Amino acid sequence: MIEDLAKNLIHLKKNFVNTYDGKSQIQEVIPLSTSDSFPIPQQNLDLLHQFATMNPIYYNSFEETVGDTICIVYEGDINKYWLSSIQYGTSYAPFSPTWIMSAYVAVLLAKEIGFREIIDIGSGDGRIAFCAKILNLESYSIEIDDMLVKLQNQLTTPLNFHPYCSDATTFDYSSLNLSNPVFFIGGLAQMGGIELASGVFEKIKSIPNLKNIGWVLAGTYSQKYPTDPKNEAGWGTLIDKNNLKSIQTISLPTAWTFHESEETPYIFTQSFD
Amino acid sequence: MSSFDDISQMFHSEYDKLVNLINSASTQSDLSLHDIVETYYQIMNMSSMITMLKQQLGSNDHKSLFGKIIESEKLISEKFNHTIHPQILQNLEKSIQETTKNLQSNSSEQKSKEEIESDAKLYEELRKKMSTKEFVEQYGKGLSDD
Repeated sequence: MIEDLAKNLIHLKKNFVNTYDGKSQIQEVIPLSTSDSFPIPQQNLDLLHQFATMNPIYYNSFEETVGDTICIVYEGDINKYWLSSIQYGTSYAPFSPTWIMSAYVAVLLAKEIGFREIIDIGSGDGRIAFCAKILNLESYSIEIDDMLVKLQNQLTTPLNFHPYCSDATTFDYSSLNLSNPVFFIGGLAQMGGIELASGVFEKIKSIPNLKNIGWVLAGTYSQKYPTDPKNEAGWGTLIDKNNLKSIQTISLPTAWTFHESEETPYIFTQSFD
Repeated sequence: MSSFDDISQMFHSEYDKLVNLINSASTQSDLSLHDIVETYYQIMNMSSMITMLKQQLGSNDHKSLFGKIIESEKLISEKFNHTIHPQILQNLEKSIQETTKNLQSNSSEQKSKEEIESDAKLYEELRKKMSTKEFVEQYGKGLSDD
């Protein structure tokens, strides 16, 4: 069911790309109502719309039928956040969000696998952590850029997804009392993701009795980036080195693949140490 | 025309292009990003040709071409590397700082859809400047490794 949801979302995105003629820097769609293609509880869809409506990165929205799905199109601009994020020496990748619908589908898969806590590393506007709360998971959102954390704090009503302004490679994860967590690593492997993930691995290893930890890694097959000799969309060497097992990969639309033919592969892995 | 004549003619023609680009770069403080990239590509192109030809030609062979090669080397090393390259880098840094400051100073204002989309072009220009600066810096790193 989740795989079908992801395929339908990609289909929706491709239809949207063909018809969209706006000039916004980023844009995405969220179906207005539950349907056969998007069998998402209406109250959850309403919360996704609420997140977009309250979010200052979106400056315009309008209703549009994309294929046979009535959607709201959200047009946004993240330039000022990009300008802020590049000034941090320890910031690994400039802010560029996944689609809100993609965040929801990815968290849905994490929940189905059995994780109970979502920790969004390099969380941007906190959309993954927000979606986790919609799906009744505990969530924590770690972001180094204080401008983005201020933005997140505007979005924590009605669901508090616990934003923290911190360098994820020095954050004290033992303070969260995690038991069955999955970490979503923001940033492609080639855009500082390896350094970010490696730093978080080291911190997590020092927590006793924390096992079967999940790691979700956003990859790319784009020829713009160097490939990893062990593949996995740029993450193969890191997966091998840290003895992670790949569980599943699911492709989903993101802001940075809007004009690309291939979506972003989210690689779900788990450590069994 | 012999193969050597072809090579010699090509080298002279590339040298002329280089001189024109270097002259423009030394007289204009606001070179376009396109012109900056074109100039560096021509420098790299000429440097590769010089390396290759020096391996193939002795200083006593083809004196006219050899003289041009030495002249080109001198132009690149003395005029471009020591004077123009640092100036281009400095101008890019200054321009990036100014654009960044301008964008930061008006980023908190409430803006219309049209204003946001117009500003987006300035941000795109800033990204291009930063990317060009990285390219220019890479060239500089190559010089310090030599």
